Amino acid sequence: MSAPLVRLAVVPPRRLAVARILAVLATLATVGIVLALSGRDPLLLGRLILRSTVGSRFGLEDLALFMTPLLLTGASVWNGVRVNLWNIGAEGQFYAGATAASAIGLFVPLPGALMLPVMALAGVLAGAAWIALPAVARAWLSVSEIITTLLLNFVASLLVYYLATGPWADHVTNALASTERLRILIPAVWGAVHWGFVVALVVVVVLGVVLARSRFGYETAICGANPDAARYAGIAAAPLLCTVMLVSGGLAGLAGMIEVAGTVHRLQGGIANNYGYLGIVVALLARGSAVALIPAAALMALILDTGIVLQTAQISASAVLAITGGLMAAIAVADELAAYVRVKL
Amino acid sequence: MPETMFAPGEPPFLKLSGIGKVFPGVIANEDVSIDFRRGEIHALLGENGAGKSTLMNVVTGLYQPDSGEMILDGYGVEFAGPPAAIAAGIGMVHQHFKLVPRFTVAENLALGWNETPGWVAPGAIEAKARALSERFGLAIRADARIDSLSAGEQQRVEILRVLSRGAKMLILDEPTAVLSPVEVASLFDALRRFRDGGGAVVIITHKLDEVMAVADRCSVLRAGRLVGTHRITDVTPALLVGEMIGRPVDLPASYPRARPAPGPDAPAAMVLEAVSVRDEAGVTRLDAVSLVLRAGEVLGIAGVTGNGQPELAGVMTGLVAPFSGRVLLGGAPAPGADPGAFAAAGVGHVPEDRLRSALAPSLGVAENAVLREYRVKPVGGRLAYNAGAARRFAEALAVAANVRLASPTAPIRGLSGGNQQRLVLAREGRIATSVLVASYPARGLDIGAIAAMRERLAAARDGGVAVVLVSEDLDEILALSDRIAVLTAGRLMGVMERAEARRDVIGRLMSGRAADAEIAA
Ligand SMILES: Nc1ncnc2c1ncn2[C@@H]1O[C@H](COP(=O)(O)OP(=O)(O)OP(=O)(O)O)[C@@H](O)[C@H]1O
Ligand SMILES: [Mg+2]
Repeated sequence: MSAPLVRLAVVPPRRLAVARILAVLATLATVGIVLALSGRDPLLLGRLILRSTVGSRFGLEDLALFMTPLLLTGASVWNGVRVNLWNIGAEGQFYAGATAASAIGLFVPLPGALMLPVMALAGVLAGAAWIALPAVARAWLSVSEIITTLLLNFVASLLVYYLATGPWADHVTNALASTERLRILIPAVWGAVHWGFVVALVVVVVLGVVLARSRFGYETAICGANPDAARYAGIAAAPLLCTVMLVSGGLAGLAGMIEVAGTVHRLQGGIANNYGYLGIVVALLARGSAVALIPAAALMALILDTGIVLQTAQISASAVLAITGGLMAAIAVADELAAYVRVKL
Repeated sequence: MPETMFAPGEPPFLKLSGIGKVFPGVIANEDVSIDFRRGEIHALLGENGAGKSTLMNVVTGLYQPDSGEMILDGYGVEFAGPPAAIAAGIGMVHQHFKLVPRFTVAENLALGWNETPGWVAPGAIEAKARALSERFGLAIRADARIDSLSAGEQQRVEILRVLSRGAKMLILDEPTAVLSPVEVASLFDALRRFRDGGGAVVIITHKLDEVMAVADRCSVLRAGRLVGTHRITDVTPALLVGEMIGRPVDLPASYPRARPAPGPDAPAAMVLEAVSVRDEAGVTRLDAVSLVLRAGEVLGIAGVTGNGQPELAGVMTGLVAPFSGRVLLGGAPAPGADPGAFAAAGVGHVPEDRLRSALAPSLGVAENAVLREYRVKPVGGRLAYNAGAARRFAEALAVAANVRLASPTAPIRGLSGGNQQRLVLAREGRIATSVLVASYPARGLDIGAIAAMRERLAAARDGGVAVVLVSEDLDEILALSDRIAVLTAGRLMGVMERAEARRDVIGRLMSGRAADAEIAA
């Protein structure tokens, strides 16, 4: 008998992985062709990119440094999407976390051993505080969180510019539009890579495990899938939704703290570097699974790094955006195609 | 083969030949061959999960068949999607209506239709809608918003939508499940008119009396395969049940009890004291209802749909807070709107619209199965949730509900309508230790499952549960109830003992004041 095409309702992870690898390769091929058409040597550039990313120790270190914030902002967005909440404000919460951590690091005299934990706590709390108003408005008043979280990004970004160039500006060197160097930094674990990378990995895995094994995870899943059924089951949705958003804010705030205390070492304007928005891409790539945030963040880090390499080769920085967009489109198509199988009757 | 018994003067409008459709782990249809003819109402019968909806989704292009072919007017056809099927003259009215609630009837009719002009004037499309309504003899109010219409009126709009696109074949999936008897009669009149004008009709239903009343021929599916096609004059309901289920099923006219029914001084599981409910617009939906639910009895709530049933069920299960009056649960005043507290006190609830309010369709069968018991061992505790235990729970529940699961982790929307219903019934039966409120529990169930459901309600009654049965089906109410209350325009028109209940009296109470129902505010 013939083997007809059937669309699967649930796609096995292995099929999805293969389809996505093909999508990445297809995107790479497209980028190569475009480069060749514009008179560049794609092989030469490719070798350059490989050498400066996965092909060398420094490249790998860079990747890990890019991955660290992306893991956490990705987790921040993913945690909301799971429940049908769209946190577009990870960027702002990132800034809030970085600012609070810097304030502790710069102005609060603490014994060395306490410094980093307190900074991390401050970062988490500040991220959560930055989303608190949108969270309450969404949970109890049904105000769309998309607009409110987005708008607060601009507030946070401008606030950091103001602090870094104004009251907190570094008056010692007076040269940089940034604060002084923090006195205590996150220790390194491997070259330039610091413990923040490990913490981010652990946080992502723990988040996935906790949501799968906890009553909180189950109840929030029901709220996200059908609020009426949640009410019927006696689940009070508003506090849960609020908590989910606060956790999202805390994750993005932690990303900000780790970035400032581990990678950048001082608070400066633009420190969030779009990590909050790229977190949306990471979360969408990861779909239903928390662990999938890790490869998704790695891929996004690779693209960012590639952009920098291309820039050194005098190719516009917008190339990163184009590649990201192309990749998202290719992956969306791949996900859809992966659902089709030939079955034997 | 029965087909050869008829002299087919002209080729059938649509001929299915060896249609097969598989889902992972499930063969939904296998080698199904049926002729659908012009000028004929064809009933499609079968147990829950037999593959009726799937077959019609194949015919309307929603699914692609995996084998077999469709021959339309003598030519082989393939439909890439529902628009292609509609272009070929095949339209379907689904059980869950697909109308835009905030649009008016006229706007819904104009929506997505090639003949709708680019610039729409309300007057013009309303005139058009009225013209359509007259042409097909289906009464509608062109300027009314969809969300203000009853289920029967919405269904008429759906049918008009399909007919206005020039359908020559009309498919209806369980169209009578949500209709009152009057609405059913008017639907059947419309179907007969369409048939007499040369249209082909396919109707999926579990109600055999309707099949005998309206169909010309019928086909029976079982486990995805065609068992037979018959002329209605050649069969009896009993014969059809035998073909559908493989054994005779009869629905008894009463469910005798070992002990006599509890009297007025029996312990009260729940008491309603002059409970009134208003909707958001301030209209009174439930008007000073006082009731005592006695442990160990079935209280039937008769009445035409839309007379306060959802509000009454809501008040009894904590979904709706009374506007005035109070609810006593196990002797103590119940908290206002707190469904969790009611469930914890042993109140189970099979709501009217299960898919929308009692299930999370995109989540797995396991997550849905434990919706009432995830707070306790073995599935969960104060903080934990054990997915493995939830899967085992779901498998056990499916066995109890007589549902075959391909996988407990697959989304529950993949189950047939009737099987979703069976699971909700079993789930609610488990937690209802004190009160079980069942709204239209027979909706969407096949006759075997109805028999099982009734036995389950009778067993709950014998176990000391106060059962509230909300239904439009007087036979069902009379068979099971110890006392019968009639709900009309939000008011209780009297509560009578089963022994004193007379069909004509109930009927009169049900319709008696229906006329002033809307003025209750
Ligand atoms: N989208 C789907 N994915 C997976 N399985 C499906 C899907 N749709 C239907 N099925 C399976 O196909 C079988 C037939 O389902 P179908 O809905 O056609 O039954 P039905 O005869 O309409 O039953 P009911 O009377 O309960 O509505 C069932 O076992 C069902 O679980
Ligand atoms: Mg069905």
